[in-house]
Amino acid sequence: MSIKRIISIGLALVLSANVNAAKIEDAAPTFTLQNSQGEAVSLSNYKGKYVILEWTNHQCPYVVKHYGSDNMQSLQKKYTDEDVVWLSIISSAPGKQGYVSADEANQLSADRNAAPTHVLFDPEGEVGKMYAAKTTPHMYIIDPEGELRYAGAIDSIKSANPADIPKAVNYVNASMDALNSGKSPEKILTPPYGCSIKYKS
Amino acid sequence: MSLKKYLGIHRVFLFCCFTFFTFCSQAQDASVENTDEQPLAESRATGPHIRVALLSEDQALVPNTQQYLAIEVQPDPEWHTYWLNPGDSGEPPKVTWSENTETLSFGDIQWPTPSAIPVAHLVNYGYSGQHLLIVPINSTDSLRAHDSVKISADLSWLVCKEDCIPGWATLHLQLPVDTQTNKTPDAPLFEKTRTTLPSEIELSSHYEINEDTIAIKFSLADINSLNTLNDAPWEVFPERNDLIDHAAQQQQIVTNNAVSVLLKRSAYFDPSSMTEESNTLRFLVKQGEKAYYLNSEPNTQLSEAATLSGIALLGILGFAFLGGLILNVMPCVLPILSIKALAMQQEHTGLLQKSAYFLGVVVSFNAFAILIILLQQGGEQLGWGFHMQSPLVIWLLAFLFTFIALVLLDLFTIGTRMAGFGNGLVAGNNAQSHFFTGVLAVIVASPCTAPFMAAALGVALVSEPYVTVLIFNALAIGFALPLTLLFASERLRNYFPKPGNWMVTFKHFLAFPMFFTVAWLAWVFASQQGTEAQFILLLSLILFALFAWLMTKTRLPWLYCALMILLVALPLTPASTVLTATTAKVTDVLPQNSIDFNADTLEQLKAEQKVVLVNMTADWCITCKVNEQVALNTQAVSSALTEDNVTYMVGDWTNKNDEILNYLKRYERAGVPLYVVYAGTNSYTVLPQMLSPGIVVNALKQAQEELSNVY
Repeated sequence: MSIKRIISIGLALVLSANVNAAKIEDAAPTFTLQNSQGEAVSLSNYKGKYVILEWTNHQCPYVVKHYGSDNMQSLQKKYTDEDVVWLSIISSAPGKQGYVSADEANQLSADRNAAPTHVLFDPEGEVGKMYAAKTTPHMYIIDPEGELRYAGAIDSIKSANPADIPKAVNYVNASMDALNSGKSPEKILTPPYGCSIKYKS
Repeated sequence: MSLKKYLGIHRVFLFCCFTFFTFCSQAQDASVENTDEQPLAESRATGPHIRVALLSEDQALVPNTQQYLAIEVQPDPEWHTYWLNPGDSGEPPKVTWSENTETLSFGDIQWPTPSAIPVAHLVNYGYSGQHLLIVPINSTDSLRAHDSVKISADLSWLVCKEDCIPGWATLHLQLPVDTQTNKTPDAPLFEKTRTTLPSEIELSSHYEINEDTIAIKFSLADINSLNTLNDAPWEVFPERNDLIDHAAQQQQIVTNNAVSVLLKRSAYFDPSSMTEESNTLRFLVKQGEKAYYLNSEPNTQLSEAATLSGIALLGILGFAFLGGLILNVMPCVLPILSIKALAMQQEHTGLLQKSAYFLGVVVSFNAFAILIILLQQGGEQLGWGFHMQSPLVIWLLAFLFTFIALVLLDLFTIGTRMAGFGNGLVAGNNAQSHFFTGVLAVIVASPCTAPFMAAALGVALVSEPYVTVLIFNALAIGFALPLTLLFASERLRNYFPKPGNWMVTFKHFLAFPMFFTVAWLAWVFASQQGTEAQFILLLSLILFALFAWLMTKTRLPWLYCALMILLVALPLTPASTVLTATTAKVTDVLPQNSIDFNADTLEQLKAEQKVVLVNMTADWCITCKVNEQVALNTQAVSSALTEDNVTYMVGDWTNKNDEILNYLKRYERAGVPLYVVYAGTNSYTVLPQMLSPGIVVNALKQAQEELSNVY
């Protein structure tokens, strides 16, 4: 499938997306985006399951920190094994850092041993802006009722140094542990850290 | 191959390897030693799009002094590195210091003034081009025991254009120890950087945290004299990363030597992170090239105790004294004092008799001062005449002035006890009566303000308790002086005309200033309680006068006296509605086209399908004042507000009141500002706490459209 076609389909789908902004402990705004297999994926299909959103850009050093150390892939495997839906979203605009074609995205997943449920393309940046996604990585957790329960950083140490990963509190793990035991995460909103998302505008 | 031979070959191989590694490690050692001889060899590093270096301002370290090192950072053109708060993304450089003598301590980075760097719709704070991160180092006396010190800086950074590249380097520097030192060739760079550092003057500042905004106000008083200020806008950089929305517009107004800035609050900010102990917020504010730090404290209305220099205090005391003097001739006071003066014909021999009036005045003013201080300590915010905000006090004063006027008119003829009481108050001639004349004079003076008094009292009300007491005593002395001199000096009294019938006429005339005061009190009462309540007050006053007259004409004086007391006490009876009528306090700060907030009026206007803008504000609210300046008082908004079916309603929360509190609670607010636009009964919109003229005009327009669609 050509990039142009993906973009045009993506555009059409995005424009139909709900324009409400994401708010913590409120219904997560619904969206439909094209995945790397060329299929349309809607958030609304996953009612009844936990959904983790991961904003990504494979060239960003902070993303490299978490993929190079296998940290992100381990999280993806751990949670997709638990029947959690993991959506990696790329909001980089064409021509900007992190933008990839569907084939390149699949290749990247294979090379890095990544295990998201889907890799989604948001070249217009509308879904990213709807969720106020600022950096890569920027993580969100949506509960089975469709409510946004966590938004923010992947962990507690803001650095590009992989050596900091074992020392940091992983907020995705901490939040999922809390949610699985019926509690609200201790931190529901944290400032994300990383590279700015390379939006179209 | 035999085992022996096999081992033999391997021995040779192992030997070779060993030799090679030894050589390698020797080579490494050699390079380290080489560094020792050429201290600057490893003090520089290069990463993609950036060069870094460890510099010293001095050639040698001197024991027991503060000296400076710096990390020189040089990103490529168009690339940047970050300030301590990087903004929406990015990461500030980090340095971990070490040295081999344990005699040095390293201070914090002296961050140069950053710039806001927009990246798509986000904003970063950082530096483009060459800059120095200067770090002070302090040495102890035990440094003398060393010839030189090896210093290492473990540095990590992030350099970005739109894409970002992290980097790490360990930089080394060896410096000799000496008793004195010369500057290095890098020293001019240090000097140049110091001119770009934020000023050492910290500006005093307050902040307010609202639901979706953070307001700060800082004073320019300390830097006004530097002549560096201009009309350029101020940029605000918070030190905390999670405080404000970095990319949002910052609204500001400059008034009276102070700048107020309204910032959009970040969704990440957690107010529970602010505790009683640690509730300061640090900001950097920048105008052009000049920047200053703010150590901002929460905006509590009473925290601004005015500190006065000795001379300023003397001036204020002088004002208070003059104000007290002038108060003697104000219409509410003059009649009583005139009568007293004219009645003062005989000798006043005893010291007590001479000074009783003075004591009465001073004691009363001090009682006032103590009451104000006590109420302030209890957290109340008061102004002069604060008691005038109480309708009950107005009610009682209206009766008091009416009563005095009736006494002056000789309504109470000789022989009744009332007359004795009245005469005793104003014209008696013993020490006790003089004392109470003093007390009465202060009470009747309390609704009045004389020239010069306002300034002095303004200071008194925001000062330390002892200043308040001093000012009130200066006022008391000024006020008591004229009559006290008359008491004390027979010669002065001789200037007065001889008693005669003219005195009775004059006394009757003096009743009229009293009636004027009553009229004014009735007007104040109406603005507090509404016109119906005012009508009840006026009826009661007339009945009071009628009963007073009847009391002297019939044989049932006690009955009428009881009725009079009943009238005075009317607001205290359970059935009374006089004091429960609700209307917001009148303020003089409102634009002319607004009406005061009233819940019933609001309901009525909504029922009439009008557009209503409700503005809940307070004099002490920085956010409110910024919004009024930048949005509500603009031409665009006032013309939108003057359209036919639009009403602008302003609630003043300066003095807390339950009606406004109930309204705020309905919108889940605990304080001001709150802006709501109603389209009749159809819908309402709560406006953001950060207004622009466009937001207000659009909200009004939308409400208009919604209403016109209904018809």
